Amino acid sequence: MSAQVTAESTGVVLPPRRRSQLSRLERTLGGRGGLVGAGILLVLVLVAVLAPLLAPHSPEQIDAARVLAAPDLSHPFGSDALGRDVLSRVLYAFRTSLAISIGSVALAMLAGVPLGLIAGYRGGWVDAVLMRPLDMLLALPALLLAVSLVSILGPGSFVVLVAIAVIYLPILARVLRSSVLVVRERPYVLGARARGVGPLGIMVRHVLPNAVGPVLVQATVLMGFALQVEAALSFLGLGAQPPTPSLGLMLLDGYQVLQQAWWVDVFPGLAIALTVVAFLLIGDGLRRRYDPAGVAE
Amino acid sequence: MTVLELEDVRVDFAGEAGTTSALAGVSLTVAEGEILGLVGESGCGKSTLANAIMGLLAPAARLRGRIAFQGRELTTLGPREYRELRGDRLAMIVQDPLSALDPAFSVGSQVAEVVSAHRKVGRRAARERAVEVLREVGIPSAAERYGEPPHRFSGGMRQRVVIAAALANEPALLIADEPTTALDATIQAQILGLLRDLQARHRMATVLISHDLGVVAQLCDRVGVLYAGQLVELAPVAELFAHPRHPYTRTLIDALPGAGHARGRLPGLEGRVPDLADPPPGCRFAPRCPAAMPECATGPVLAGEGEHAVACWLDDTSRAATTAAVGPERSRA
Repeated sequence: MSAQVTAESTGVVLPPRRRSQLSRLERTLGGRGGLVGAGILLVLVLVAVLAPLLAPHSPEQIDAARVLAAPDLSHPFGSDALGRDVLSRVLYAFRTSLAISIGSVALAMLAGVPLGLIAGYRGGWVDAVLMRPLDMLLALPALLLAVSLVSILGPGSFVVLVAIAVIYLPILARVLRSSVLVVRERPYVLGARARGVGPLGIMVRHVLPNAVGPVLVQATVLMGFALQVEAALSFLGLGAQPPTPSLGLMLLDGYQVLQQAWWVDVFPGLAIALTVVAFLLIGDGLRRRYDPAGVAE
Repeated sequence: MTVLELEDVRVDFAGEAGTTSALAGVSLTVAEGEILGLVGESGCGKSTLANAIMGLLAPAARLRGRIAFQGRELTTLGPREYRELRGDRLAMIVQDPLSALDPAFSVGSQVAEVVSAHRKVGRRAARERAVEVLREVGIPSAAERYGEPPHRFSGGMRQRVVIAAALANEPALLIADEPTTALDATIQAQILGLLRDLQARHRMATVLISHDLGVVAQLCDRVGVLYAGQLVELAPVAELFAHPRHPYTRTLIDALPGAGHARGRLPGLEGRVPDLADPPPGCRFAPRCPAAMPECATGPVLAGEGEHAVACWLDDTSRAATTAAVGPERSRA
């Protein structure tokens, strides 16, 4: 038998190599974990958006006959101390919480990205003027800062969103600044300057796209934590005000009746945990893809 | 016609360990259609000179002397006016073609970017011009590959793209800083051929910076030899190789691998470029010079008859010029 066995000689026809859409997505998300996280998040976002359609009952309808009723077929998650359907309340509360966590990180990016970009690219006194106040914010414990802000501005969902954004702003700005410091020394930045591209064009077109990876990683992880902070603030009575359903408020309600009715507390708790895990998985995957050196953590 | 004229250009970097004198009084001219080569070891100030002309020195650098481009003084230019010149009349090919293109953008858009930065043209016109230049520098199927990112191109092809970006606005002066150093020998020859063709066609004044005398010999009309921030010899290329007058130039030429010494160790030069934070007084080459003498403590003046100038006490013209100059100004050059 000859040493060379070709596809023709053996009659085997190799199928053309194909990359499925799924495996391409997996690579984009930095591996299996990221893919799973993205899958969970996609389902969760759909659930949040479609909450009014999915919820079997009104989240605010009180039913004296069903006080602390155990889960059954028509109320899979049971009922709370006022006889309200826990499943419907979790769906609506999740909607609020997710909006706050995504909104707060988006707001923090909106302010933090320009600050970090300019501070890192210009350096010198511009850097000092922009970053020192942010460093001072960073020195305060996050929850203390949020509690103080809410006490000053008064409770409410939007205030919580702003408070979380203020906590995250310096973190995101610093992460971007540090990767900008690396990217601005790359030869293509000098090349762009030699071609007469102005400072704004260089920052926005050449530095930002190459430096933003670690910030995206950090932002994803922070969205998970934002959900926790929101729940913590609501639990303390500083966030969403009743009757607006909020995961933190539900934890507070459930905590008081935990001995009699575990379901009032466990389901909102699980919703928080699942969402945080999804964000962490995505964040971890993105980090593997964008930031192999680990600048963001 | 003189396109670029440098007069006594000095660049100092203020640092914690004192001032580093990266360029110590360089004067030269480049004419339209001429290729001037600048050679020297690493750390001789070749890239500093390029950045000084382009106005791209680090903020810590202090620049003195005159740099005139088409009769216009560059050293007093504001950042905005300078930016308008860069990429338009003044172009530079930066070192390291492999990373000189932004990985996040298509090669075509980076060439088009130079066009739209300086010309009031629409996207489509900028794109057309970019495709035209890419074709001119020899990118096959330029229109089809316009949208591809740099990593799909080989090193030589990337260098062609970088050259296209530099030439997109038909500059009057092109500075090529080690344009072929990162490329392998075959590709190097192709890129040098391309540069020669483009130069012959567009007649821009060109400064070619290289540590490779072979590259300079192939391409340049005149050659300047830099040592530790000083221009030690300046001559037409054939003249320089035939009759090098400065001991440093001689050592460089002797160190070229050639048919003459196919076997054994190449002759080299002991020691290294002096610490520019504390340069030797006078001629900076003196500590390594085989022919050093007491006079070398005073810096010799670059002078010569006709086209061939040298800064060395061994040379009669330079000696006479230095003796004449030293009288009023006994400065550390």
